[in-house]
Amino acid sequence: MFETRYYTRFDKEYPDKLRFIRDPPAGIYVRGDLPDPDKKTVAIIGARACSQYGRNMAEYFARQLAMNGVQIVSGMARGIDGVAQKAALSEGGRSFGVLGAGADVVYPKENRDIYEMIQGHGGLITELPDGTAPLPMHFASRNRIISALCDVLLVIEARVRSGTAITVSYALDQGRDIFAVPARLTDPLSAGCIKMISEGAGIAASPNDILKSLGLMQEEKVKGSDGSKINLKNLTRDERAVFACLDLYPVSIDEIVRMSRLSIDDAMASVMSLCIKGIAKECSSCNYIRSR
Amino acid sequence: MYSYVATLSLYGLDCKEIRAEADMSDGLPVFEVVGFLSGEVKEASKRVKTALKNSGIVLPPKRITVNLSPAYIKKCGTSYDLAIAVALMKAMGLIPKDKDRGMAVIGELSLSGEVKKVTGVLPMVIEAKNLGYSRCMIPMDNLKEASCVEDMELIPVSYLQDVIDHYHGAYVPCIDHENTGCICENDTVGVDLRDVNGQESCKRALEIAAAGMHNILLIGPPGSGKTMLAKRLPTILCEPDREEMLEITKIYSIAGLLTADTGLITERPFVSPHHTATPISLSGGGINPKPGECSLAHRGVLFLDELPEFSRQTLEILRQPMEDRIISISRQQGRCIFPADFLLCAAMNPCKCGYYPDRTKCNCNSEDVRRYVGKISGPLLDRIDLCGRAMRIDYKDLKQKGSNVDSKTVRMRVEKAVAIQRERFRGTRIRFNSEIGPGDIDRYCHLGTKQEKLMKSAYECFELTARGYHRIIKVARTIADLDGSEEIKEEHISEAIGFRTIDGRYGNV
Repeated sequence: MFETRYYTRFDKEYPDKLRFIRDPPAGIYVRGDLPDPDKKTVAIIGARACSQYGRNMAEYFARQLAMNGVQIVSGMARGIDGVAQKAALSEGGRSFGVLGAGADVVYPKENRDIYEMIQGHGGLITELPDGTAPLPMHFASRNRIISALCDVLLVIEARVRSGTAITVSYALDQGRDIFAVPARLTDPLSAGCIKMISEGAGIAASPNDILKSLGLMQEEKVKGSDGSKINLKNLTRDERAVFACLDLYPVSIDEIVRMSRLSIDDAMASVMSLCIKGIAKECSSCNYIRSR
Repeated sequence: MYSYVATLSLYGLDCKEIRAEADMSDGLPVFEVVGFLSGEVKEASKRVKTALKNSGIVLPPKRITVNLSPAYIKKCGTSYDLAIAVALMKAMGLIPKDKDRGMAVIGELSLSGEVKKVTGVLPMVIEAKNLGYSRCMIPMDNLKEASCVEDMELIPVSYLQDVIDHYHGAYVPCIDHENTGCICENDTVGVDLRDVNGQESCKRALEIAAAGMHNILLIGPPGSGKTMLAKRLPTILCEPDREEMLEITKIYSIAGLLTADTGLITERPFVSPHHTATPISLSGGGINPKPGECSLAHRGVLFLDELPEFSRQTLEILRQPMEDRIISISRQQGRCIFPADFLLCAAMNPCKCGYYPDRTKCNCNSEDVRRYVGKISGPLLDRIDLCGRAMRIDYKDLKQKGSNVDSKTVRMRVEKAVAIQRERFRGTRIRFNSEIGPGDIDRYCHLGTKQEKLMKSAYECFELTARGYHRIIKVARTIADLDGSEEIKEEHISEAIGFRTIDGRYGNV
């Protein structure tokens, strides 16, 4: 079993992202690992009483992000938080739970499986000593740790007045990017998301939107001409650079040259080999799209 | 009294030796010219008579017969006037008879006795040299073009009086040796590839086209700079050698497009007929055949802007010259052959409205696009090796200055590739990669196993035709030459595939 470790603000293990916010915790209790500062981190949060749609979205986004090596931070609560973390872990990704109780307290009880799994594939973080009970007053302040640890905050289903809204306002203070998953306008469970979007949050129409904002490559794997999956890592550097320029609407070779900064002959050669591999398609001479 | 003077006739590009014979005998005063004459030669008698009179020479009231021999050749044009006048003066005993051994006389007369310039002097002088003549008397205004011929004594004359003075050894022509060497009405002088911002892929395609003399099609929205790019194509073609310059000048001489200041044409021509051009204007023709736009573009660029707007008949004319590099014109008088070895550069919009595949502006559906492109005949498209895509350019590109590659740099790369080709094709009739026939492909464009594999997948992936396959390999050969690589590598093939011309694939988003 894992031991609880304690780091003060002045220890070098203490995450920098946390150290430099307005009101950093004096110290943190950790079980398992801390998030890898060299990897991108996304916090997925949302309503505890979520709909099936929210559940599906949380699972989809978490899986896709985890597949691309993104660490998922959340509050390990019921609903969206738990679903997202579970999905990330089952995809083989890493996840971190920020708790509103002591690190040895499993709360809520139904998330015991996550609690067990997370300690080998991520970690538990809290500012409260072991044995502290999950009292309501603790949750609002632990939210500032969630928002501090992430690069992008993704909101899936939130009411206008909710714990999620508190996390979002912390994230705004701390300068984190906020994305919200859109849903039906009349759905009170998503009214918070819609409001955030209208106030300038990014629309998370697909996991790619988040990945792009994180500056990560698009999917590592794409479908080839014969239906087999092609790992983008197996492409040459030029081919990857060209692939990053392609989109679902035609992009001309000149635009590819400008975006990829390759020479025209290299760009042309790369885009052709992508066409032959079936990853790209020529829609009219010298115009290319990604093949679906 | 009988006398004669040598001159030359021109039919198409062929010159024939003609004798202008004159005889004066007693009888009723008549002046007649015979020898299978066309209208303008028949009128020569009146011009010559008046010109002589205004130069102070009155024809005696005798029976004067002039014959242009041999009589079975139809005589056209106005270049016989001067020869007739000289023959008459000799027959009258005004000038010595034996002073013009080895001399051919060419020129038209005006009523005042002035010698006017005629067309086709250069091919005539060249032929005179081949026939063993050592001197030519030509109009002063034709001196520059005739000077292109080496080892030929030229006697340029401005007036009939100069001719008389020459025969008496008292004529010293004043000659201005400056040679401008450009083609008249040429708006491609002083242009440079540097003027074009952006359009990197088009520039690259043009470079490949220039290096291997591949025909090229530029597609792009209106105002994107297709014409601008095409006009700069001659500036990156390899410099013509002297023989090519002579060929070009000869054609322009026959077409009457050389001004008095123009000598040897040293630039490759750029010919851009309007899309309302008739088939004959492109091929050349007439009773005395004149070269058409195809031949005027010989050793240069024939630019067809708005290709689908050309009538189908006009475009079909291009098939023979594109295949055989000559154009033969058959008329009742005979057949004449003009050289027509040009690089075809065509430009067109991608669709009727001009913006496909930019969906923010273009509403054409695939069928519209296909119909628009379908106006161009397949066989013509089949003979085009490369396709460049001009793009609407951004404001940033428009304003950018100084970073563009200039024509000189590109031309140096092209010359290098041309030199490699010259070495490769030494001893054969081929000069450029675009001329490699299907039978010679394996010999000159050997592909390794990897490259074969790439071609195989490309063949299936892009549904190529056999001809398209050969075109790609030829273009890949040129790209490899530009790269200085003996072996055709995979990236060369890939690039050639990217620049291949439109075919069935057009219009599928």
